[in-house]
Amino acid sequence: MKNFYRKVAFGLGPDEKVSSDPLEWAKNQLNDIPEFSWKGKILPEKELRNYYRDYVYGDRKVLRKKFKNDKDGYKREKNKLRHETGQKFWWNLELCIRYSEALKSETPVLAKLWYFWGNHFAISEKDFLAQYTTGAYQREIIRANMSQNFEKMAQEATIGWSMIHHLDNDQNVGPKSQEAKWAKEKGKTKGVNENHARELLELHTVSPDCGYTQEDVIQMAYIMSGWRPEWGKKRLETGDVHFNPDAHEPGTKIVLGKKYKRGRKSLSVAITDLVNHPSCRKFIAMKLCRYLITDNPTNEMMEPIIKAWEKSDGFLPEVHKAAIEVAFNYSDKYNKFQNPENWLLQMSKMADVDLIPSPAFMDLYKLGNKPIRDQRALEYLMDELGQHPYLAKQPNGWSDISEDWMSPELLIRRLVYAREAYYRKSGKSQTPEFYEEMIEKNYDNSGEILKILNQHRELVHKHVILFNLPETLKS
Amino acid sequence: MKISRRNFLKGSATTLFLAGFNFPVLANTDKKKNLVVIMLRGGMDGLCAVPIIDDKNFEKKRKDLILDETIKLNSDFALHPKLKNFHNLWQNNLGAIVHATNIPYTKRSHFDGQNLMETGGHIPYSIKTGWLGRGMELAELKGDGLALALPMPLLLRGIPSNDNFYPSKKRLPRTELLQLLKSVYTDKSEHDLANMMEIIANRSMMNNGGTSMSRKNSSLAYKAGLELKKINGPRVAVFEVDGFDTHAAQGGVNGSHSDSLIEMDSIFKSLEKGLGPEIENTLVLTLTEFGRTIKQNGGRGTEHGYGSAIFMAGGLIKKSQVYTDWPGLKRKELFEGRDLNSTIDSRSVYASAMSTVFDIDFKRIQKEVFWGDKLQNLSEKLFKS
Repeated sequence: MKNFYRKVAFGLGPDEKVSSDPLEWAKNQLNDIPEFSWKGKILPEKELRNYYRDYVYGDRKVLRKKFKNDKDGYKREKNKLRHETGQKFWWNLELCIRYSEALKSETPVLAKLWYFWGNHFAISEKDFLAQYTTGAYQREIIRANMSQNFEKMAQEATIGWSMIHHLDNDQNVGPKSQEAKWAKEKGKTKGVNENHARELLELHTVSPDCGYTQEDVIQMAYIMSGWRPEWGKKRLETGDVHFNPDAHEPGTKIVLGKKYKRGRKSLSVAITDLVNHPSCRKFIAMKLCRYLITDNPTNEMMEPIIKAWEKSDGFLPEVHKAAIEVAFNYSDKYNKFQNPENWLLQMSKMADVDLIPSPAFMDLYKLGNKPIRDQRALEYLMDELGQHPYLAKQPNGWSDISEDWMSPELLIRRLVYAREAYYRKSGKSQTPEFYEEMIEKNYDNSGEILKILNQHRELVHKHVILFNLPETLKS
Repeated sequence: MKISRRNFLKGSATTLFLAGFNFPVLANTDKKKNLVVIMLRGGMDGLCAVPIIDDKNFEKKRKDLILDETIKLNSDFALHPKLKNFHNLWQNNLGAIVHATNIPYTKRSHFDGQNLMETGGHIPYSIKTGWLGRGMELAELKGDGLALALPMPLLLRGIPSNDNFYPSKKRLPRTELLQLLKSVYTDKSEHDLANMMEIIANRSMMNNGGTSMSRKNSSLAYKAGLELKKINGPRVAVFEVDGFDTHAAQGGVNGSHSDSLIEMDSIFKSLEKGLGPEIENTLVLTLTEFGRTIKQNGGRGTEHGYGSAIFMAGGLIKKSQVYTDWPGLKRKELFEGRDLNSTIDSRSVYASAMSTVFDIDFKRIQKEVFWGDKLQNLSEKLFKS
């Protein structure tokens, strides 16, 4: 039963007690979205997007012209521009905010589900999104909507600037639209870009299980045509997303047998239909079970989550509670191999690793300077562990399948960084007594584990072994 | 454009005829033969990498993406001008291309497509092992796979104890500790973990004289070449190159598609350097989930398509050639009126390659790796026996 704390959160830290009702403990964290526990600076997405704008504008419109014939000068000035716009700093600050929710908040269960949703509506590695805006997108569009209906999250994520840019919808022009006609007059062609429409169906809502066709994808792309950042000479592609009727495909569209009239409203109407499709709730229920319980969820696992969805109209706190309850009921039967990020947070929480730099230290950063090494520690670490949360390789995010995380190289990283982490602990947590108490609190088979650890004398070795035992790797 | 479908069929009839005879083959079984697969993720544009020459349909549909100064390969096909290392191999009879080919997947989703290019199956996510892993299992090549990637690709699953290498700068814990963990894993029947710990404990590549190593594909390929060269080293290596999904700004010679092609090209070069003379006993193949639309889109990019091309390199290829059953680029010849068709199931190439490198009968591979699917044995046409 104790692994439930690790399954739905990150285990119990030194100041936390085993609850008499773990399920209630977990469910109580899911009703509201509390303030961030990070006490340092937190920047709005819009402000971060302005830094992104300053970078792309400065690079593309100023430096490339100015240093056309001076490669070294260009390189030097571009580096300066990176620092003037905080390119190496913001995502480290975002990681501090992100991990504080797991390690320092009263709501670690909410944090673990936040990471799930950030990965569901993933912004994968593209341009400089990760460095400037992905963290903020996950705060303002994903986390903020975890107390709302799934539909609201889907609506906002779809027309969020990050997603529109990430999936090329700014390139999606109706082939019969006014803009396509203007282009034709100039001898150019503009047309549909299916990328975003396809992912909206495949990854974000109904999944291929619902049986949509290539034609459905194209029709969905027509519905989405015209949704893009407002273009400006200075803003370039970083303007707010709006609906541009000139780029919108005229006529009625049909997706999954439903008709949609032309115009601004059709996208939101279509999303409403998609999120209410039975395949959508089934898909989300499957993914939640896969994330929390097992690679191959059974119908019995998914059913209560689907029911909760139907009863509450996709109200996420209810969906989350149902998922957590299923995880609780299957807690002893199934263990899920944890991805590198969740593993690191588990270790940091239980062993009291000083993972996150202090707010005061991070706030020392001054724009224009290169951030100092310790201000960038999290970025390096996540990269080394093989899972930087803002750098998923593809729009389907990081894998939830255990096998994708099981390889010698990845296991090496866990061995190596478990050791590194030990030296980032305070002296008072570097005692045998600390470990005994922590193991007792977090594992059902603490006696057996202590026996294994006692084969090694040095505490640092015990630490490395503990966090690479099957009991820890799988929760 | 001079090639036509009929020409091809006429040309291949001879080979077909000769194939009926059972020539005695002196299989050189004491040689260690290597297979390298480079996965090109995102949908490699075969028509950008290996464009057709003098085709009006092509030029019309791709006004802004036509490349200048391509390298002519034969009367019908040219090579992307940045693929200098591949061209060098080609000139030495060490490089060849299969064109208008793809896995039998037509739905244009990256994730489903990449899943299928690795499993070799028909239904996305239904098969949990890779075709290469299953082929290795059949050839009993346990522990002979090396992925130059993090994490372990699906392509290699199906046989335990594969290694992967993507160097970390930190030191491993001491051996006793690794041994203890391994015995705990074994006691708890965690066989996958135990296998991995065994590999880690025996790892030689980690102790690289204390110097840190780059994770660039070109540097990994050099290292892999050195490992493949060893008589007791791995026999199979897998690379990944990202970034082929160029929906926008695909560009010409210096566009974004070129960047990914150049990365692929650097792997050829470094492998050759690392392998030395053993390039003669090696076969390198590329793999992608689909090609791209012929028509450029509004953003000077291309959309997800169907037919693509396979690059092949190494001494085990038969000769420099563009092997194809060219379907043509007229509207009615295109798949669904928009994509280069695939006339060769690319799995035929992979099955034939495994048959050649692993010395296993093609039919066994067809049956046990690809479930008896209808595949052509192309071994004699493409590879040395």
